[in-house]
Amino acid sequence: MIANTNKELKLIEKAAYDFSRKELWPEREENDKFPFGPFFDASLKKAYDLDFFHSILPETYGGIGQGISTLCVILENICREDSSLGGIIFTNSAAYEILIESGSEEILKKLTESADQVNKFLIAFPVFSDPSQVRHMLKATKGNDGYELSGSMEYLVLGSIANQAIVPARIQGTDSYSFFLVDLKGKGVKVSSPIHSLGLHSCPAVDLTLSNTPGKLLGQEGQGQTYFKKMVDRLSVAAASMATGIMKGSFKEAMDYTKERSQGGRKIINWSEVKLMLANMSIKIKNAEMSVAKACQALDTKESGWKECSRAAALLTQETACDITTDGIQVMGGVGFMKDFGQEKRFRDAKHIQAVFGITPVKKIKHFEELL
Amino acid sequence: MVTRKEIKALTEREPRFDDMTSSVRAVGNQPKWITNEIREVMAIARKFTDEVVRPYVLELDLELTKNPAYLPWEFIKKANEWGLYTLFVPKMFGGQGYNLSCCGVFFEELGSACLAMANLVGVHYLGYTMLTASWNVRMLNKISLDIVDGQKKGEPCLLTLAMTEPDAGTDSQNLEMMDTGNLRCHAKKVDGGYILNGTKIFISCGHLSQWHIVHAYTDLKRASDNTVMIAVRTGTKGFSFGKKEKKMGQQGCPASELIFSDCFVPDENVCLDNRDAIRLKRNIAGTNEQIFAYIWGASRMGVGSFGTAAARNAYEEALKFASENELDGQLLINHEWCQCMLAEMYRNVAVSRATYLEATQANAMHGLWKPMNRKSLYYITKFTPARLMEKLVGWVAEKPIATTIFRKLCLDGQTEEEIDRIDGWGSIAKITGTDAGNKNCQIALEIMGQAGLRHSNRAEKILRDAKLLQIYEGTNQVNRVNVFKRLIKRSSSQAEAFSQNNI
Repeated sequence: MIANTNKELKLIEKAAYDFSRKELWPEREENDKFPFGPFFDASLKKAYDLDFFHSILPETYGGIGQGISTLCVILENICREDSSLGGIIFTNSAAYEILIESGSEEILKKLTESADQVNKFLIAFPVFSDPSQVRHMLKATKGNDGYELSGSMEYLVLGSIANQAIVPARIQGTDSYSFFLVDLKGKGVKVSSPIHSLGLHSCPAVDLTLSNTPGKLLGQEGQGQTYFKKMVDRLSVAAASMATGIMKGSFKEAMDYTKERSQGGRKIINWSEVKLMLANMSIKIKNAEMSVAKACQALDTKESGWKECSRAAALLTQETACDITTDGIQVMGGVGFMKDFGQEKRFRDAKHIQAVFGITPVKKIKHFEELL
Repeated sequence: MVTRKEIKALTEREPRFDDMTSSVRAVGNQPKWITNEIREVMAIARKFTDEVVRPYVLELDLELTKNPAYLPWEFIKKANEWGLYTLFVPKMFGGQGYNLSCCGVFFEELGSACLAMANLVGVHYLGYTMLTASWNVRMLNKISLDIVDGQKKGEPCLLTLAMTEPDAGTDSQNLEMMDTGNLRCHAKKVDGGYILNGTKIFISCGHLSQWHIVHAYTDLKRASDNTVMIAVRTGTKGFSFGKKEKKMGQQGCPASELIFSDCFVPDENVCLDNRDAIRLKRNIAGTNEQIFAYIWGASRMGVGSFGTAAARNAYEEALKFASENELDGQLLINHEWCQCMLAEMYRNVAVSRATYLEATQANAMHGLWKPMNRKSLYYITKFTPARLMEKLVGWVAEKPIATTIFRKLCLDGQTEEEIDRIDGWGSIAKITGTDAGNKNCQIALEIMGQAGLRHSNRAEKILRDAKLLQIYEGTNQVNRVNVFKRLIKRSSSQAEAFSQNNI
């Protein structure tokens, strides 16, 4: 990430990129076969041991305490080679943000202290969709022993690998929803097979059905949307950094290939049309980087308008990443379309990251309405 | 107001009247009955997609995701039963003889249900196009009879076009680049035939096909005027299949490696080589260039219709989603932004279709199927009993004079302006349709959000399938240079295209 002179951050950036190249890149094609191939447990464990999952947490909970920039640096570098792991880190971070925003300190303490394994630490979360726009919402009923949740919900990310989930549910008699922590190994929980989707194959999502499943209320009743919006404002820039990472990976692979491949008696990098495509890619990527860097700085210093910066960075970079990865395939021709190379996965992942957060024009309109 | 001389001069000025108005000029020029045929072919395609393609779309794609080695023999057999591999084979060669002007519409219909399955049918006609472009009547008859026989016996006989090589993609498809490229598929002349050595890659439907129309070269350093177009049958000694590519999309249609290792192919399987080319009006390189234009003019029109199909399929999925899902208490379809995006998608489909239809008419009047669309020949072949025609053609096809006449008419008879027009419009249709297809797929997922990502909802598959369209049959970038070469370059005396002097 540009505009970063923080030494500690530089070290984290290097660690994340090294991990990405050495651990993720060689296995990306195999790992992408999930759920029709094995899950990359070993890589996930290594990433956990390297503390990539703790960056968002305050130092009191074992976090790094470097603000949003740390998470962005990690995500960007991981996503250069395999955004599935980026998706896992992002989802988990979003779930922990909800815990932080809802003041669920006891749960935070318990989860961070007892998590000797990644599965115990991970929290599944329908991170990508705005619960207020979901038609079918889980129902919560208050009984003597607390709340019980019933109903079904779609696209619970990490649902097949995490031990617990944060889910939105509407308490009977209230208009707005609340968030609940649910034990995924507990009573009445049914989890579907991982949903086969466009991209992020190793960041599995499931459909969830609950039947009188105990759920622990997070924060206040009916305040789910408040916590969700705060999380979105903060983490939009992290989503932007994922898109930026994908673009950088796509650009590098495209450029490396054009230096090797010859057609028409010359390296294809010397075709000016190819040069122009690469030039356009590099210009857009630099602008995306600047956008993310500015949003990080604004957010970390709580500069006025930081929320706008964060959301705008996400909307811009997610769209740009779709263009860049399309060209990333195109400059490589036929091989760019094949799974032996990394470009087709980046193309799918970029579109996935844009679409999975919701309906793009609606996100744009909502963003604009916040400015009014 | 204007004199006859002025009309000629003013309408020959760029942009030229003839280049602008293929569809307009086709009115009156083309047999009226073709409209009925197009309507009929559209109905056949719709029935086939309803009964065979749509119920199988997700299953086939998922099968390939799980097992990349899978070959869709079942589908091929089904398409064969439906007669799809003889649909556009001329009646005089035993086929059903639907006019090639129906092709675009037919493949738009198939492709708007599944591009992979459309390709499992379409690639066969790509091979057939290459064979036809040689105007070798004997070979056309021989291979057509095999296709027809395969239909009768329930043993599909498909064709491929084998041009691309590991180190020569663009280089293998453009005459100007052949000699500086890395073409390696060598054809050595020996008594009674050629010995082939080399590899072809990305050959669609290779593993599923019986005949492969191969471009090989007797002199690898000067391939542009030493090309041999030769038909190789699956099972020929020295010919084998290599790997099958793992593609992001269009997974159901295999992209195959063809390996030739001291593969002897007899002279009787030669479609065109320099012994024939030397007898034609143009020099040998000129003839090879003309053949490329014949193939690309037709096949890129077809890819344009595939692109239109992708655009349409994405539009239809988005429309369905918007009609069934609410946001903020209102169906998406009643949000103005959504109406405008759907309108944009509809426009993309409409413009692409108009473009490939224009290219179709350019081909019909100036390109590959020009002879078949002459009213006299069209109606004779249409209404002469098939058995009588087959007998007659079977006898005539073996006479070298038949090939000589067709080549005289079709190759020597085609003007440079016609070559420019069909090749230029092929590229325009290809770029327009495939860019629109990809654009609509992106828009569809923007409208559908998370729901669009699920395999079971189809939209993500259309996006994966559509991307390949911008790459095969020449990347869209190469096709842009080709538009420049065919329709723009002549406006500037110093312009060069696909030249070593270009930077």
